[in-house]
Amino acid sequence: MIPDDNEPPPFLGAWKRVYITVLIYLALLITVMYVFSVVTAP
Amino acid sequence: MRPLDWVAMFLWLGSIVSYGLWRGRRSGTVNEYLLAGRSMPWYAMGLSIMATQASAITFISTTGQAYIDGMRFVQFYFGLPIAMVILSATAVPIFHHTNVYTAYEYLEKRFDAKTRALVSLIFLIQRGLAAGISLYAPAVVLSAILGWSNQWTTIVMGSLVVLYTTTGGIKAVTWADVQQMSVIFAALILALIVAFRLMPAHVSIADAIALAGASGKLRAVDLHFDPNNRYNLWSGLIGGTFLALAYFGCDQSQVQRYLTGKSVAQSRLSLLFNAMAKVPMQFFILFIGAMVFVLFLFDKQPVLFHPVELKRIQADARFGAIQSRYDNAFDARRQAAEEFVEARHRGDKGDARKLQAAENQLDQVHQDALKLGGENDTNYIFLNFVTHYLPVGVVGLVIAVIFSAAMSSISGEINSLATVTIVDFYRRHIRKDATDHHYLWASRYATAFWGCYAIVFASRSGGFGALIEAVNIIGSLFYGGLLGVFVVAFFFPRVTANGAFMGVIAGEVAIFAANQFTSISFLWYNVIGCFVVIAVATAVSSWQTNSVPASSRME
Repeated sequence: MIPDDNEPPPFLGAWKRVYITVLIYLALLITVMYVFSVVTAP
Repeated sequence: MRPLDWVAMFLWLGSIVSYGLWRGRRSGTVNEYLLAGRSMPWYAMGLSIMATQASAITFISTTGQAYIDGMRFVQFYFGLPIAMVILSATAVPIFHHTNVYTAYEYLEKRFDAKTRALVSLIFLIQRGLAAGISLYAPAVVLSAILGWSNQWTTIVMGSLVVLYTTTGGIKAVTWADVQQMSVIFAALILALIVAFRLMPAHVSIADAIALAGASGKLRAVDLHFDPNNRYNLWSGLIGGTFLALAYFGCDQSQVQRYLTGKSVAQSRLSLLFNAMAKVPMQFFILFIGAMVFVLFLFDKQPVLFHPVELKRIQADARFGAIQSRYDNAFDARRQAAEEFVEARHRGDKGDARKLQAAENQLDQVHQDALKLGGENDTNYIFLNFVTHYLPVGVVGLVIAVIFSAAMSSISGEINSLATVTIVDFYRRHIRKDATDHHYLWASRYATAFWGCYAIVFASRSGGFGALIEAVNIIGSLFYGGLLGVFVVAFFFPRVTANGAFMGVIAGEVAIFAANQFTSISFLWYNVIGCFVVIAVATAVSSWQTNSVPASSRME
């Protein structure tokens, strides 16, 4: 149902790699915020 | 507000409208008016998506929420990047390749006209109510700050939006959003710098962060799973993903933004830009609220932040006692904060318990004052900071930015409402073979109609506080059904038109039942609705296929 799309992203070469990068970035953000919560907790 | 603030505010509002009109001046066809001729670059779409979602009340109440409740609200946005990745891989190429004007137009290509009409109608009801609220909520707050009547604020804001949205179409909306978001970022950064600079000389940035942490305001991530707790990591990741999928994948006010893209790649980049920027942005806004809290540990504020309610309770005979308790509680809290900082400077940890106890005592007095006043004042905390602490001229600019944030949400909403009205109803069912020029003007009239509707709704909502709250809850009840029907359209090729139609109805019934008979947090409604639509749609389709003789199926 999902059409093929051959237009590559401007970086990282393939859309799959861009998506994985975004998800890794999210995981990092959550980790940093969790550490921030723990470090600043009383 | 001093004269320079008024000048800054009106200059900014004038420039927004003029810039929008100038950028949208060549919208001479329906395609240009509704989809900007599919010519938009990713950064313009990305900022416009962000501006449409971030209403004025987001900036006002998010900072206030951090002040009161800490930073845990940021978890609400954890699902957004996941949703953006899913939509970039699925919805964006599908909508682009089918050349649709609206997301619901695709449903007719995939299913039938009645499914398209049902889902379009759900959108018009939900978004129509939201458009009124988007105008009403900031108007109430700004009216109290500016000393204007609600009606006057609503009319000023609504008229400016209608002017540039009706004339310039989506190009005007998008480019005005770009301009607005740029200044919103600048204003937020300035607010944080001012908050730090106004701290007492002996309180460093590290002390301020330690004080906010000791007061429990910096607890951003909560790992404990509880379906009744609105903000924890799991509700954010699971519920937030479904909510963002529904909002960005099925709500025309968002879908229309990325349908304007030059290409699939540009539209994907606009969504992925939001995936990267949204969570840090919300964290930053909440952090400003936490720092305003620290500033107010040392700088005494009135008992209530709502200026009108404060004046009202000052006339009450019980106010004197409350003020006296407040003065004592504030002094105790300031003392506890000073001792905490001194302890840190000595290399000790500081007594967080004493600070929290003093905070609880002050909060209790505040709650008692609220009982006299009758209206929550969370939305007035940040505006109180803006109007009393920012430099002259900048105050006017920040108030104008808050106006702009409201306007960018409303313009996106009325633009999408007009598009669905014309494309999914008028052109589909009423005038099928008119000229492009006819539909262009019909779109303009529809935009003006929805703009006027929002103004009338907002200006007549003054006495319906409970209704407004109810409408907000109702708004969250529709997304699960919408998301479910798009999921079966994209991923379940065997689902039939009747299956999808019945699925949407069943999904909505399930969500309403969950709302009425359980205490489940609203973030989970989207998950429930989506799964019920999938289950019922596949069951009905399977039953329908099995009940049709094999010979008929061959045809």
